Amino acid sequence: MSNAIEVKQLRKEFKVFSSRSGLKGAFRDLLTRKYKVVPAVNDINFTVKQGEMVAYIGENGAGKSTTIKMLTGILTPTSGSVRVNGMDPHREREKFARTIGVVFGQRSQLWWDIAVQESFRLLKKVYKVPDEQYNEHMAHIIETLDIGPLLDKPVRKLSLGQRMRCELAAALIHNPPLLFLDEPTIGLDVLVKVKIRQFLKDINQKYNTTILLTTHDLADIEAVCDRVVMLDEGKIIYDGGLQSLKNNWAEEKEIHFQFLEEVRLSQLESLPLLFETSWDYDEKNQTFIAYIKEESDNISQLISAVVSHFKIKDVNILETSIEEIVRNIYEQGISTAVRGV
Amino acid sequence: MFYVSMFFQYMGQYMKTRLQYRADLVVEILSDLLNQAVNLVFILVVFGHTQLLAGWSKDEIIFIYGFFLVPYAIFSSFFNIWDFNDRYIVKGEMDRILTRPIHSLFQIILERIELESLFGAVTGLIVIFYAGSSIGLEIAWYDPILFIVFAIGGALAYGAIFIAIASIGFWSDAKNSIMPMMYNIGNYGRYPVDIYNKVIRFVLTWILPFAFVGVYPAAYFLGKKEWYAFSFATPIIGLIFFMIAVVIWNQGVKRYRGAGN
Ligand SMILES: Nc1ncnc2c1ncn2[C@@H]1O[C@H](COP(=O)(O)OP(=O)(O)O)[C@@H](O)[C@H]1O
Ligand SMILES: [Mg+2]
Repeated sequence: MSNAIEVKQLRKEFKVFSSRSGLKGAFRDLLTRKYKVVPAVNDINFTVKQGEMVAYIGENGAGKSTTIKMLTGILTPTSGSVRVNGMDPHREREKFARTIGVVFGQRSQLWWDIAVQESFRLLKKVYKVPDEQYNEHMAHIIETLDIGPLLDKPVRKLSLGQRMRCELAAALIHNPPLLFLDEPTIGLDVLVKVKIRQFLKDINQKYNTTILLTTHDLADIEAVCDRVVMLDEGKIIYDGGLQSLKNNWAEEKEIHFQFLEEVRLSQLESLPLLFETSWDYDEKNQTFIAYIKEESDNISQLISAVVSHFKIKDVNILETSIEEIVRNIYEQGISTAVRGV
Repeated sequence: MFYVSMFFQYMGQYMKTRLQYRADLVVEILSDLLNQAVNLVFILVVFGHTQLLAGWSKDEIIFIYGFFLVPYAIFSSFFNIWDFNDRYIVKGEMDRILTRPIHSLFQIILERIELESLFGAVTGLIVIFYAGSSIGLEIAWYDPILFIVFAIGGALAYGAIFIAIASIGFWSDAKNSIMPMMYNIGNYGRYPVDIYNKVIRFVLTWILPFAFVGVYPAAYFLGKKEWYAFSFATPIIGLIFFMIAVVIWNQGVKRYRGAGN
């Protein structure tokens, strides 16, 4: 099987200018501006096989978007090599662009002022998609994403969720073998997220489309991706399955309780449970927090034990955030995290 | 061939969008026409007081001005990139452009087409015919062809200058005020260059070739033999400068940094 993406020692540096203070500093800035060279992506290596679905994650500023922009030919790398679909994205841009689809959650890929279907029609010509292929393929996409009623509206009149679904459809007009999604679910409500996840899985199954997506939502990854690449400060600190990432670094789950009656911490601590549970009280929010290992049916056991002893006002199960996982990896050492693919 | 077909696709889309807002379109056309009428009166009044300038008669100067308006109108319709830096670099629209399978500059030209500006060419033609008939110019059968070739050459030279200046945005993120300045300098091409000193003449010919948008090509139609070499160089200069501008642009694209956060 061929590789969709091959990245070797890839690096991107940005010059960040800083201004000196005071009037004298302003004059000196005119002559020579002070700057720092910041490596946003720091000599990374990875390959993605055709048909893989990879989550590219990390904290804000880790370098995810910068990597995607190099993979899509928007930015020229400072050094290192990129082969995507067997091409150098920046050198052969026009030919290369036909073989990928791109969605940026924060920025529209569609023309703002024209109706969605006009955008589609124009893109169909831009990508030279034959009529039969377009009709069959797009009819399916429009139906799955449920965007039929939106087609005659201009993009600027759509809500974020509606726009995102149209962006996704637009990125797939030419049925590319490789799809890049940079935070496609940011700011969307749960129903739209679920629809988008299902859709991505569908096209992957139907066309063996390779998908690389960035997200802050672990549920996106859980639903869609079989592999996680984690980036921190421009370096890859984890590359492997989601399950082992969670087993090793997302071991703790937080469950928040609020009660209708007076409850003391010691009462909770003495609940009869078969596994280790530590309790905390958050005075500000009057919330009791239980920390448990996420194993078998721990969560339901804990909740049923609590419910049978006290009257509950509210329960909240917190998904471990990506930020938290990064923190855990640091606490336990990076060296154990990076594993070969 | 693909690029020609894309040109018509985008034009079609542009027309459709325009026609959708029919009321706006009518108002806009009327205001454009009014604008051009005011322009016309202004030209005739201002130049009405001009005497002989460095051997050019009043009508000849009006003729040059009229000619200038034609390539300028073509330029304004197709090289509407004065806000390139804000729109495409600062706002990051360039990201979208760069992921599409069409040359980036061509895409931006297509997206920013503004055909209304072509009304300026109508004013130009009126001025040309007015001045031409007062001078008593004859029209040979090949003159219309040369006129079109020279007008396009001039528009290319004009476009090249602005593409090169827009490309500065790829290198420097400082707000540049060169663009408006260039619009002013562009006006110098509307007048006979021999009224300026040598340095300015050199600059307007070989560095910022604005003279090829007005006086040089117009000189041919006025029968000024001493300028013919420059007149016929117009399309060549236009093409050469345009190619240089595209090379600068392509180098710039490699430096594109994206909008950041
Ligand atoms: N155009 C740019 N100019 C300067 N610095 C940039 C630019 N784009 C990104 N950066 C910096 O590079 C780092 C990585 O950014 P980015 O790739 O956007 O991170 P992420 O997408 O993971 O949040 C950040 O420190 C950011 O400030
Ligand atoms: Mg980002």
